[in-house]
Amino acid sequence: MTAALTLFIRLIVRPLGREPGRTALTIFAIALGVAVVVAIHLAGTAATGSFQSSLETLTGDADLEISTVGGLDDALLASLQALPYPVRFSPRIEGFAMIEPQKVSIPVFGFDLIGDRSLESMAPPKSFDLDSLTRHDIIWAGSGVASEKGQQLRLTINDQTATYTVGGILETTSSQGAPRPNFIVMDIAAAQKAFSKQGRLDSIEVFLPERDDRRRNDRDWEALISAALPAGVTLKPKGSRTTENRTMMSAFRWNIQVLSYISLVVGAFLIYNTIAISVVRRRGEIGVMRALGAGRAAVTLAFLAEAAFLGAMGTALGLLLGRIMANGTVEMLAATVRSLYVSSTPGEILFTPDVVVVAVVSGMGVSLLAALAPASEAARVPPSEAMARGRHETAARLATGRRLIYAGLLAVASWGAAQLEPIGGMPLFGYLSALLIIAAAACATPAIVDRLAQWLSPVLRAAFGAQGILAPRSLSASLARTSVLVAALSTAVAMLVSVAIMVGSYRDTVIVWLNERLQADFYIQAAGQREARQYPTIDPAIADRIEALPEVQAVDRFRGYPVYYNGRPSILGAGQSEVLSRLGNLGFLDGSPPQQVLAKLGSSDHVIITETFANHHRLNVGDTLQLPLGGQLVDLAIIGIYYDYSSEGGAAIVDRKTMLKYLSDPSPSNLAIYLADGANPESARAAIENATSGFSVTLADHRTLRERALVVFDRTFTITYALEVIAILVAILGMAGALVALVIDRRRELGVLRFLGASAGQIRQLILFESGLIGLFSNTIGLALGTVLSLILIFVVNKQSFGWTIQFHWPIALLLGALTLIYVAAILAGIYPARVAVRLNPIEVVHEE
Amino acid sequence: MRLFQQIRPAPFDKLKAEPSPAEIPRALPMPLLRLDNVTKHYRADNQDVVALDAVTLDAEPGEFLSIVGRSGCGKTTLLNLAGAMDFPSAGSVHINGVVTSGLADAELTAIRRKYVGFVFQFFQLLPTLSVRENVELPLLLAGQTANTQQAIERLEWVEMADYAKRLPHQLSGGQMQRVAIARALVHSPKLLLADEPIGNLDSTSAEIVMNLLRRTADELKTTILMATHSQEAARITDRIVALRDGRIEEIRRP
Ligand SMILES: Nc1ncnc2c1ncn2[C@@H]1O[C@H](COP(=O)(O)OP(=O)(O)OP(=O)(O)O)[C@@H](O)[C@H]1O
Ligand SMILES: [Mg+2]
Repeated sequence: MTAALTLFIRLIVRPLGREPGRTALTIFAIALGVAVVVAIHLAGTAATGSFQSSLETLTGDADLEISTVGGLDDALLASLQALPYPVRFSPRIEGFAMIEPQKVSIPVFGFDLIGDRSLESMAPPKSFDLDSLTRHDIIWAGSGVASEKGQQLRLTINDQTATYTVGGILETTSSQGAPRPNFIVMDIAAAQKAFSKQGRLDSIEVFLPERDDRRRNDRDWEALISAALPAGVTLKPKGSRTTENRTMMSAFRWNIQVLSYISLVVGAFLIYNTIAISVVRRRGEIGVMRALGAGRAAVTLAFLAEAAFLGAMGTALGLLLGRIMANGTVEMLAATVRSLYVSSTPGEILFTPDVVVVAVVSGMGVSLLAALAPASEAARVPPSEAMARGRHETAARLATGRRLIYAGLLAVASWGAAQLEPIGGMPLFGYLSALLIIAAAACATPAIVDRLAQWLSPVLRAAFGAQGILAPRSLSASLARTSVLVAALSTAVAMLVSVAIMVGSYRDTVIVWLNERLQADFYIQAAGQREARQYPTIDPAIADRIEALPEVQAVDRFRGYPVYYNGRPSILGAGQSEVLSRLGNLGFLDGSPPQQVLAKLGSSDHVIITETFANHHRLNVGDTLQLPLGGQLVDLAIIGIYYDYSSEGGAAIVDRKTMLKYLSDPSPSNLAIYLADGANPESARAAIENATSGFSVTLADHRTLRERALVVFDRTFTITYALEVIAILVAILGMAGALVALVIDRRRELGVLRFLGASAGQIRQLILFESGLIGLFSNTIGLALGTVLSLILIFVVNKQSFGWTIQFHWPIALLLGALTLIYVAAILAGIYPARVAVRLNPIEVVHEE
Repeated sequence: MRLFQQIRPAPFDKLKAEPSPAEIPRALPMPLLRLDNVTKHYRADNQDVVALDAVTLDAEPGEFLSIVGRSGCGKTTLLNLAGAMDFPSAGSVHINGVVTSGLADAELTAIRRKYVGFVFQFFQLLPTLSVRENVELPLLLAGQTANTQQAIERLEWVEMADYAKRLPHQLSGGQMQRVAIARALVHSPKLLLADEPIGNLDSTSAEIVMNLLRRTADELKTTILMATHSQEAARITDRIVALRDGRIEEIRRP
């Protein structure tokens, strides 16, 4: 151990200190890699972990929850409360209000404030005076929403905007650091009115007797209560919705988490390179140490310690950096979660021990793994090496042929992995396939670099003279090193290219779909709330009034309900298939003409489902979908599967007539308005606005709607691009560091060039040429690898985790721009090494022996 | 502080455009190389080392000088000053009439490209370039394009033309040094500086290299300064400059 320590200090610590610039670059590159993982971990938890919090902290823990599609009948509560059990039932209305004029949306809960003890955990639990309870414009606000009793708030709920008075402020009594409650509580009757849910409840919470009453366990209670419920009403353990939401978002979180590891993969190449450089440089010293009696283990340990040291520094810095980066990331992720999945406010960023564990395992783990090969090579240096003076790395030729064979085998394995089914909904083999093809490319890189350098040599010589001939030669000469740099950068480039192709293809697919889908001239929805799976309703009278306008040909009344099917949150929708088949458009997977399918939809208990819904639940045309509707289980025959890119959970759509047969609520949530032929859009818009006056609804034409959808789309992928760019940054930083090492090791050659008449400018150009060539090679390999990766992403990973059909498409302009930028960045990475090269004193470097 | 590092770095654009020989200050009527009272100090570990002390020396075209003396007496330092690789601390170095002190990097480079060739003890061929490419290198660096013929001619001069396609590691030490001499002479410099060119060679190879250098001085009229530890080698030169602790002890004819 002491031998290893001495070796470590002599062989590792001192040299690192001698090249502080390079050491700092390497550490910073690792730190960035770790920081990204940490930031995504922290932000992901904060952005998706919060949607359960406000209500749960508010009500304490109910044990069970009763709910059904379209809400429960008021009468059910009375009948449950009449049961002779020591069980408490508490009714709930849940929804969202938009605070005006800030347009901030916050959750609203309706409680039975007279009979309910749920709010006792809030301070101050001031008695609610009966007087204010009978008034429907009194609300109780969390301290995050309002500050004092008596304050006035303007709220838009569904299609109505009204002024409410704060009857009291709610504060959590729990821990100090907890975020301030950000919600509004109303009496149940007031909430039913505000959300137009008269006579209905969203859910009934069930509180079982204390646990020490051991005569019945929870399961028995569940059976007893279930027996008292009508068909189609579900009883579930409280919190299972949270779990379901989590499951739904897991694919999203998984993918983004996986992307966050790219920078670390790139970092691994750089650690490998750093350790390999330090082994090559110190072969002589290692030989001497071995001759003096140091064991192999000691040598391996010494070099592993170098990796551990760099990894530890990088991890520590990465944790700090990641915490800072998380701040910027949370809102981005939360916005995506809100628009794609469920409404939630981001929680606090919690720096929990598991984040530290993730950082240490990834930072140190990657460093040590990457160092394993070069460190064990160091152990194989024979003591006789001590005598072999001045042996240079150039002598050690790489077995490029053998590596090409490995590359072929890895590529075949990658293809095989891409054929396998997902595990538990996770495209694990898809990721494996991607990793294998990256490894294959890395193995093929030395051969490709060597070949490209040879081909380019005459061209460069003709064009640029001495630098043109020297740059490709020295790159092939130090092939072992340059190919690692090219592998690192090309991996980063490939990831960027693949994601650009995937997102670009996806975006194009969505645009085509939107154009096809948005056939109506105007769309209306309640102004109240615009987030995922929320369908605030509007007054049915609005639709009738609009339909009566002379400018309007038809109105398609759509109503959406958030439902859980097989534990997955999805959407149940009802539309007027007659209007849609006449004026709209819908693309079916099997290519059936929409008119034909839609005509059948209204005729009976038929349903059409989205591609994602079909994929997730493995349903086909002809299968039956059983859904709980209005107190009974309804069997719906699937008559079509259609393309849809609006929600990940997918949707099942029935005709409006079918829906009204089971659920009585006639309020639509969305209107699609088709104008009469020749109607002037401007005057039509004015007429519609006039017809909706007095209601808070938003009117948008199809173009606006399309743009809005694309804004959401682009926001979703901003973070993906950010991750790719950071990976490139890591590669570029690492490349700068490695080029410095290359310069130092070739200092004598560079000095000789000065003696032979090279100017300082020529030396600088030479190094910039080399970094430019590395950029060029990386772009070439990265573009090819990235295209293959994009196929895996589109047709395996995306298909398995989201279930969407994406048409392949090259975003040529974007790719050209990105590759040019990367090329420039690679050249810039040569600036610092070039400076080091120019500052070398030729006299000293030539005469040192 | 080493003087070499104090050179004001020329702006990037100026360096890119290599100066043409016309820009080099005008030559005065003078010997090809003149060291005038040249002193060179180094600072190492906070100690002042006097590597050269008031050295005055002229060399005429075609003259072959050897510089001898114990290790550390200043031979290499003298050659570097004479080759415009470094500046004297005091006194002046004149190369073809131009004083090197105070010149910018680009101007020093231009002087080297036109007037100076270097040969080293450890050959210093670039391992990635073939023999021919090594010889071409100074021409390429000077921006000349059609240069293969010139390189081949020089290789014929050192009798290494048959090896033009080989890589350096495929040659013996003596062959490498002959290639290095061809490289140093490819641009027909007026001044050849050789630092212990036979220090790493066996006696047969050494003799070949020495004869080659002699021929270079006689036939090409190249002025040669050669640092050497070999009395035998010094004997075939025109004058022997004996250095001791940075001073010229004596200049004698062999
Ligand atoms: N860069 C430097 N920094 C400090 N001292 C130096 C430097 N270069 C040379 N010296 C010192 O200057 C003196 C002359 O060195 P030089 O290399 O010219 O000797 P030399 O005659 O060529 O010796 P050798 O025969 O061993 O090559 C020596 O004392 C040496 O230590
Ligand atoms: Mg010397």
